[in-house]
Amino acid sequence: MGRFWRLVGAAVLALFSLVVLAQEEDDPVKEAEKQKKQLLEQSGGILPSDLYVEQGEQLFKTKRGPKNASLEACDFGRGPGKLEGVVGRLPRYFFDTRKVEDLDSRIRSCMIRLQGFQPQEIKRSDVVSIAFYIASLSNEQPVAVRPLMPQEKKLYQLGEQLFYLRAGPRDMGCATCHVSYVGKRAGVLPYSDILKDKRAASHWPAFRYSNDQAWTMADRIRACYSNLSMPAPDFYSEPIIALTLFMNVQASGAQMDLPGFIR
Amino acid sequence: MRRFYLPTLLLMLLGLASGQTSQSYINAELQRLIQAGGQNYANVLLKQAPDQALCSIHRNKLPAEVLGPFIEEQRKSIKYPADGKLLGDWKQGEPIFNTLARGNCFSCHVGSPLNIGGNVGPSLEKYGQRGTSEAIQKYTYEVIYNTWAYFPCTVMYRFGHGGLLKPEEITHVVAYLLDPASDFNTKPALKR
Repeated sequence: MGRFWRLVGAAVLALFSLVVLAQEEDDPVKEAEKQKKQLLEQSGGILPSDLYVEQGEQLFKTKRGPKNASLEACDFGRGPGKLEGVVGRLPRYFFDTRKVEDLDSRIRSCMIRLQGFQPQEIKRSDVVSIAFYIASLSNEQPVAVRPLMPQEKKLYQLGEQLFYLRAGPRDMGCATCHVSYVGKRAGVLPYSDILKDKRAASHWPAFRYSNDQAWTMADRIRACYSNLSMPAPDFYSEPIIALTLFMNVQASGAQMDLPGFIR
Repeated sequence: MRRFYLPTLLLMLLGLASGQTSQSYINAELQRLIQAGGQNYANVLLKQAPDQALCSIHRNKLPAEVLGPFIEEQRKSIKYPADGKLLGDWKQGEPIFNTLARGNCFSCHVGSPLNIGGNVGPSLEKYGQRGTSEAIQKYTYEVIYNTWAYFPCTVMYRFGHGGLLKPEEITHVVAYLLDPASDFNTKPALKR
């Protein structure tokens, strides 16, 4: 615990002294690298995402919940307790829940099945921290999501349909920006190229230095809807898993940068 | 059975007469997926309009045979202010253009002296150079009211059609863009 709070202290100090986005680089990837370097120099080598990883590791390994169990027996697709590289293979079909699950929903399923939590007891912030911990063990591993099971193929297809769907008072649709206006800016960041740029989906979960938030892909998808005044799909719901599956298949072959560090 | 048959046939004929067989994009499986996202989410997405369905089906690139009737339909939806005046008050247009939760125009267009513009849409810098002829007023008003009448399936909101801005509010934005006295035309545009 002592080490954890030292880390917290160092990171808080570093954040306070962070130069406020002066002289921004034009390329967001270069800009994020610059910010990361600055933050590392100021904090003595600790990033805010390290705190989430540390917190997530504690939550993962501590016996918790009505069943007083840790999450160490959770199977993320490579067998119980095998965590290395799993983020790059999700979403995938799981026989125990008979569902296609992404990182967030798999963590939640294990908290329910192994630890005995009721769904409404599960704190979103706990899931995010655990996601950061698991992500840290997939860093520099490849994304390799290939729908093979019929359930995966079906959900992929629905994810693709949802990606092109337009609705709402602002005619919102993912593809409208992330296919038609790739590289253009509405606001600070250019639209990422979901179909052709494998980096687009290979750095989630990520820490956002501009607003000091830890996001998983689910948070990212929900923000896309909210930014256009649309109600977002519920956390852990199938539309989020379907879109994530669609995007991660596009990102297959990329080397993951986890946890991501972005604006 | 017969009771349902007749109205369906009538609807289909109406659809054919208007040149658009109203194709739906959301099939039963996609509907079930969307419903799994929660009530609020489903309420909005499942209300997809036929024109939104067409853009979804054709992935925002309408084929030639769909294009004509589509534009025709969009044009029909445009309504004008009661007094017929399209050039409103530029000072009232300014906050609409420059506010995220209202017009949000600056996010995609360069031209505002108050906000750095984006490049999703074309630059509108010194838009007023076009003059204030009736034709240019009408074109500007209509593109804001329903941009799909000119640029089918584009990303820009259909402000009048979608109920985001009232006709009078659109005339104020038209004035912000066209009035020679408007800050939009007298002050330099902010750029990255």
